Amino acid sequence: MGIKGLTKLLADNAPKAMKEQKFESYFGRKIAIDASMSIYQFLIVVGRIGTETLTNEAGEVTSHLQGMFNRTIRLLEAGIKPVYVFDGQPPDLKKQELAKRYSKREDASKELTAAIEDGDKEGIEKYSKRTVKVTRQHNEDCKRLLRLMGVPVIEAPGEAEAECAALCKNEKVYAVASEDMDSLTFGAPKFLRHLMDPSSRKIPVMEFEVLKVLEELNLTMDQFIDLCILSGCDYCDSIKGIGGQTALKLIRQHGSIETMLENINKERYPIPEDWPYQEARRLFKEPLVSTEPPELKWSAPEEEGIVNFLVNENGFNNDRVTKAIEKIKAAKNKSSQGRLESFFKPSASSSMPIKRKESKCILGSPRSVLGPKAFTLQVCLCQSSRVGNLKLPSPVMDIRSHQMYARSF
Amino acid sequence: MLELRLVQGSLLKKVLEAIKELVTDANFDCSATGFSLQAMDSSHVALVALLLRSEGFEHYRCDRNLSMGMNLNNVSKMLRCAGNDDIITLKADDGSDTVTFMFESPNQDKIADFEMKLMDIDSEHLGIPEAEYHAIVKMPSAEFARICKDLSSIGDTVVISVTKEGVKFSTRGDIGNANIVCRQNTTVDKPEEATIIEMQEPVSLTFALRYMNSFTKATPLSNTVTISLSSELPVVVEYKVADMGYIRFYLAPKIEDDEDMKPEV
Repeated sequence: MGIKGLTKLLADNAPKAMKEQKFESYFGRKIAIDASMSIYQFLIVVGRIGTETLTNEAGEVTSHLQGMFNRTIRLLEAGIKPVYVFDGQPPDLKKQELAKRYSKREDASKELTAAIEDGDKEGIEKYSKRTVKVTRQHNEDCKRLLRLMGVPVIEAPGEAEAECAALCKNEKVYAVASEDMDSLTFGAPKFLRHLMDPSSRKIPVMEFEVLKVLEELNLTMDQFIDLCILSGCDYCDSIKGIGGQTALKLIRQHGSIETMLENINKERYPIPEDWPYQEARRLFKEPLVSTEPPELKWSAPEEEGIVNFLVNENGFNNDRVTKAIEKIKAAKNKSSQGRLESFFKPSASSSMPIKRKESKCILGSPRSVLGPKAFTLQVCLCQSSRVGNLKLPSPVMDIRSHQMYARSF
Repeated sequence: MLELRLVQGSLLKKVLEAIKELVTDANFDCSATGFSLQAMDSSHVALVALLLRSEGFEHYRCDRNLSMGMNLNNVSKMLRCAGNDDIITLKADDGSDTVTFMFESPNQDKIADFEMKLMDIDSEHLGIPEAEYHAIVKMPSAEFARICKDLSSIGDTVVISVTKEGVKFSTRGDIGNANIVCRQNTTVDKPEEATIIEMQEPVSLTFALRYMNSFTKATPLSNTVTISLSSELPVVVEYKVADMGYIRFYLAPKIEDDEDMKPEV
């Protein structure tokens, strides 16, 4: 999923492009959220222990509804205006990747059956997670719930991340929230990670700015897209032996995949026979998105509809749902608070930080300040004196964090 | 090299108590003109601007413009170790990542040094344009604090309206509503007890009481408070810090909520 190792690559090479922000600071902002990714996470973590999941009386899974309901309310309570974007048709190139995921899931199902037979608890936990699949029904359920809650829903013609990025480029929303680093490759000007994490994890939101990423890496957007393709994306295979770091070096050296292909040692780096990098590049640059930017409107929740859907059809606790609806209504009121930035504009501060980092790297050229050396320096400072606020974010989907997720519900 | 010596150390203690509830981390900026701070609360609704002019310090040395990132709770912890009559000196060396607070007792028999680690804070500086306000209300600070506290037991928001009659603070909540009117009153024994209203045109704005209550933590700094209002501008609540500077709190108003409201993106 996403771009392999991009988070780490950016943390090492473009630390200034990442900023930790408090969840509250997105108050009053419109944020586009990749819904399919969120639903997937909910199915994995909400109320699931081994093969047991939250279900309604008919035995249908309701984890996604529970997750979507609670998490959306949390956003609304913080004064954030979410827009959920659902995946449409995947591009043909992604079908290969999807087929791969499908066969992995098949394997996992087999392993799971074996694990259940052996009574291997760890195995059950591990493989049942891998068998999770977001179905059309899950998507439809969530859309229905969101519409009842008065939250706008957008159905993308193509990939949800691409649509989110387009919304952000057209200034329809302030930022894109996803766990998928693809959003940056699609050129979302502002991209947020960990926005949808439960508050109990106390993980700050990580904000990426694509302009700063390019500035720090010293690449053009086209080169950045090439870098992402080389690092490994959903649309085509990566070249054996080339990871993020090598890819960055090669793109810096050659400027584009074409020139790189002419110059590299093909024995050391075997190019896959069928390698549609041009097609992948086109998908990132000109993805299928809505031509007419949709109207975004947040309205009052439909109380009866929500109760009917969640309590009567899906066996949610009536009291809890009623209380939650009260929260939505209260949050609606809160959203009328203005932000200071709508009155005062940011200005450059004239003061220098007391510690001049440049002065410590006096031997290097000014460029080296942006390089990995400067980063390690900051990391040392971090450990010794709480200076700096850079941390290597954990991988998108590691197992530990899932357990933490699960516990928080 | 930075060295600031403040004889009335208690002022600094009060300044910290006034802002630490609103802001957790902030950069203190030092320049030849003075010691200042600008910071927003985490939801970017309120802003605090502090200025202590260099003339107000007994000794003020600042070789070049500096910005020092501090956690305000930690600063407050340090300053709580200073006595109320102590002289406080702030010291920092170039290139160092610490700041030293030195507390001297009035008769010089006790000197304490507290060193604190600085932090890197990435903060946005907002340019605040000079504006003509529609109405400026000056009133006893304790009175204002009392009004905010009383109203917040009834509602979450306060409507501040200034008319020829005076200034009206009103709120409504589940249990009922409340109105408090303060009239212009200049015939008092002490000038700090006066309520003075300068009005160009009537104005009425709505604010969250939670923030107003947090601003009133600055009440011990000054006997009077000045509230400046303009429609479509954040309110400014200003407390003077002796005769050396001020703390100004800015708060974005609540916008009338209609369905097609368009918040900025």
